[in-house]
Amino acid sequence: MTPAISVTGLSRRYRGQLALDNVSFDLEPGSITGLLGRNGAGKTTLLRILDGQEFASGGSVRVLGAPPAENDAVLRRVVFVREDQIYPDRNFRVRHALQTASWFYPGWDAELAGTLIDDFGLPADRRVTRLSRGMRSALGIVIGLAARAEVTLFDEPYAGLDPVARQLFYDRLLASYADYPRTVLLSTHLIDEVAGLLEQVIVLDRGKVMLAADADTMRGAATSISGPAIAVAEFTAGRTVWNRRRIGSQESAVVAGPLNDADRTRARVLRLHLEPLTLQQVVVHAAGASAASPPDPRAQERTSA
Amino acid sequence: MNWSTAVKVARYHLADRFTFVAAPLLVQAFTFAVNLMIFVGAPVPGPGRASYSGALGAIYVAFAVLGARSISRRLPFALAIGVSRRSFYAGTALLAGALAAVDGLILALLQPAESATGGWGLRLDFFRVPYLLDGPWYLTWLTSLVGLALMFAWGMWFGLIFRRWNWAGLAAFAAVQIAALGAGLGIAARTDAWHGVGRFFTDLTIAGLTGALAVLAVAMLAGGYTTIRRLAI
Repeated sequence: MTPAISVTGLSRRYRGQLALDNVSFDLEPGSITGLLGRNGAGKTTLLRILDGQEFASGGSVRVLGAPPAENDAVLRRVVFVREDQIYPDRNFRVRHALQTASWFYPGWDAELAGTLIDDFGLPADRRVTRLSRGMRSALGIVIGLAARAEVTLFDEPYAGLDPVARQLFYDRLLASYADYPRTVLLSTHLIDEVAGLLEQVIVLDRGKVMLAADADTMRGAATSISGPAIAVAEFTAGRTVWNRRRIGSQESAVVAGPLNDADRTRARVLRLHLEPLTLQQVVVHAAGASAASPPDPRAQERTSA
Repeated sequence: MNWSTAVKVARYHLADRFTFVAAPLLVQAFTFAVNLMIFVGAPVPGPGRASYSGALGAIYVAFAVLGARSISRRLPFALAIGVSRRSFYAGTALLAGALAAVDGLILALLQPAESATGGWGLRLDFFRVPYLLDGPWYLTWLTSLVGLALMFAWGMWFGLIFRRWNWAGLAAFAAVQIAALGAGLGIAARTDAWHGVGRFFTDLTIAGLTGALAVLAVAMLAGGYTTIRRLAI
């Protein structure tokens, strides 16, 4: 099957600085993928290139089997909802934005758009430039979901939205996805909130792909082990340790890789406490690998990332 | 690019009918009203003579502003909802042509109205411009259409330069045009070519001038296209 999105060796350079550095990944059609990473990691640049709004400096990008830049046949099957979207000013109202979007998407779901407008309490007659930050986000979300585009790109789509509205977004996204499976790529910082939604995860850091894996695999990808320092040292010997933290005689360490039953039994014998890392914690470790050194080098050491 | 996409882009602009349809005409109506008020107080010229006003230029300025506005705040949303730059540009140019045709026709038809009313009873030639817009109505229509479209295309190019290179680009773009104009005038003065330039314009018919403006408009459109092709949002 042709991947919905296929990126190979993609780079984007801005005045000598690499915003994207040799990025490669494939996304199969019909999946929800989280695009995670710190500010400035290159998430928005990547999404802009996928939507043909920005151009690559090197490498190849294929969306629905063809390069997206200036390709009408591809672009009409792609929608991009971005946090910093510029809308027309003056007399351009919410209903104009929705109406216009409906013309360009053959699969536009007017019923869903109507429901979402009610859900979010969007004033259809208000000028887009007069909307609050949250309302503006809501408008983007309505367009992104109602477009029913085969490739749906969300870049931090819920700035300024309250938790109730965010939950509404997740629920509607899942419902709409169940009815019309498509390829969703969602960039976000609220990893724990969306963890249940994601089937795959791509972690970017400083323009590079740090991790690209199934979300389920990643959830078990690391375990936090805590207890007496001697026992922790014994348990972690020969394993990849992401992070160590010691307070007095107690130590905790993050061990990479899945644990088997024998490991668990051994941990119980050593009176160690085991806790699998959440998706967010795994991402923090992956994305933070190249971050500044921790506050106290004696208390924390990184043996491997 | 296909026609239906271009038409949709034109409709997207027309969501804001006030800015695109009403505003240029209102600007022109307003300047016309101001002119009438001024000329009511001025002495009516003697037989065979008329008062002139250059205020018909207002709608041309309005079209240039419209051209710039059609790009700066409208391109980003169009790209977000699956429109290519090419389609956006084609649709916007299509709208420019349609608006220039409609507004040009209105201007052309006001000319006979003006002569029928004796220059609005004031011998004011507002819609008739000697030499430029002084022929049969259809030629006035054509010249107005081309002139308005040219201004729109010029404004569009300014808008694109701003979107791509911000204020610095805008300043450089304006400076280059002023320098080119200055260089042209300088060369004409130095080579004593004023005679030739004068002859060129007196020999040029209105139809010929309209053709030259059309070529310029196409050049503006081509320049704008090279600017939008690699524009990142």
